Amino acid sequence: MGKILIVDDTLFMRTLLKNILFSGGHTIIGEAGDGTEAVEKYKELKPDLVTMDVVMPKMNGIEALKSIKALDPAARVVMCTAVGQEQMVKLAIKTGAKGYIVKPFQAPKVLEEVKNVLAT
Amino acid sequence: MKEVPAKVEHNKAWVVIKLGIAEDRIVLPDPVNQEILYKTVVDLAERKNTLIITFKTQAEGVVKVKSVDKVLEILKKLILNSCNAYRLAAYFKSPAIRGGVLIQGAPWEKGSIVVVRTGIWFVSPAKQVCVPLMDAAAIELTKTEVQGKPTDIICIDHVDAGEVVSSQVLCPISTLQVLFNFLKDATKGMDMKGNELDAVGQQVAMLVYSGMDSHAIENMLNIPHKELDAIYDRILNLQLGEVVAVRREIQLTTKGVRYISDATKSQVK
Repeated sequence: MGKILIVDDTLFMRTLLKNILFSGGHTIIGEAGDGTEAVEKYKELKPDLVTMDVVMPKMNGIEALKSIKALDPAARVVMCTAVGQEQMVKLAIKTGAKGYIVKPFQAPKVLEEVKNVLAT
Repeated sequence: MKEVPAKVEHNKAWVVIKLGIAEDRIVLPDPVNQEILYKTVVDLAERKNTLIITFKTQAEGVVKVKSVDKVLEILKKLILNSCNAYRLAAYFKSPAIRGGVLIQGAPWEKGSIVVVRTGIWFVSPAKQVCVPLMDAAAIELTKTEVQGKPTDIICIDHVDAGEVVSSQVLCPISTLQVLFNFLKDATKGMDMKGNELDAVGQQVAMLVYSGMDSHAIENMLNIPHKELDAIYDRILNLQLGEVVAVRREIQLTTKGVRYISDATKSQVK
């Protein structure tokens, strides 16, 4: 079980992820609505894992991922992408994301991916 | 002609026969007594280990055949090579993505795409995969990286066992455009405008997909039971969902209240 920071610009998606992760026994230690806030929260909260939306205002998920990896090369970041964003997934993995989950979310898949990434 | 054991549906019952497989036809002996030329087949579908063959001579007929995988594989290849369908040579990946997860090392297979009345078949020497048109969630012309270069492909998303599975087709762009138009036309009855549900309705649909039950959805969206029921009705009417379970809420009668009161007293004693 891990301490997780959820990053997404929509409240609905954050709440959905929070419910899914909570049902899997994880602790949600923070939420952020854009990339800039995500980097700040990462510094402050030092989560075990970050779920990071790709398309966000101010700073997008890929840029936020780069900043977080610069701060902490061992950071575990799982990207949240939509179906059909395979190029984005490849770019995120190259940039250092440990995994990805696909919207719309399916609870078992989210929990499985988070579990796998936390085990690394 | 080779003969193989198979089951065929006849008068709403499955009968065991020696199915004759020739280069240009299948022969269904007594009690079915039917010969089907592959070129008369207008549709081929597969459900578990059953092939559903629709053929048209003067009238249209349907034959359902069950057999071992090996026999069905031979039948599928023979029928799809000769049946009355839109067919083109192409490279394909099926599946390329399952449940949003890229299939690592999925190869581009050289084969053909056969579009029959109710489905799209991906056919190669090693594989015959059917995507029923009614399960196609999206068909789009897009680009992917092939040998380091961005290349035009058609991506077909379909639902298989509750997961979105993507298959990709690669062929010359002119052919790709023809196939894309053909597929869009074949599936236009399933296209929706996207505004059939309001914002809350769309959120409910997304939560259902995520695996939440009614109670969790009511709590998360902070909506009363009756509103959720009305949204469910809209989803059902639009054929976006189906009822899988009906749960009941009850309250105790006087007899019930007495029963639990007595039970509590006896626990105290």
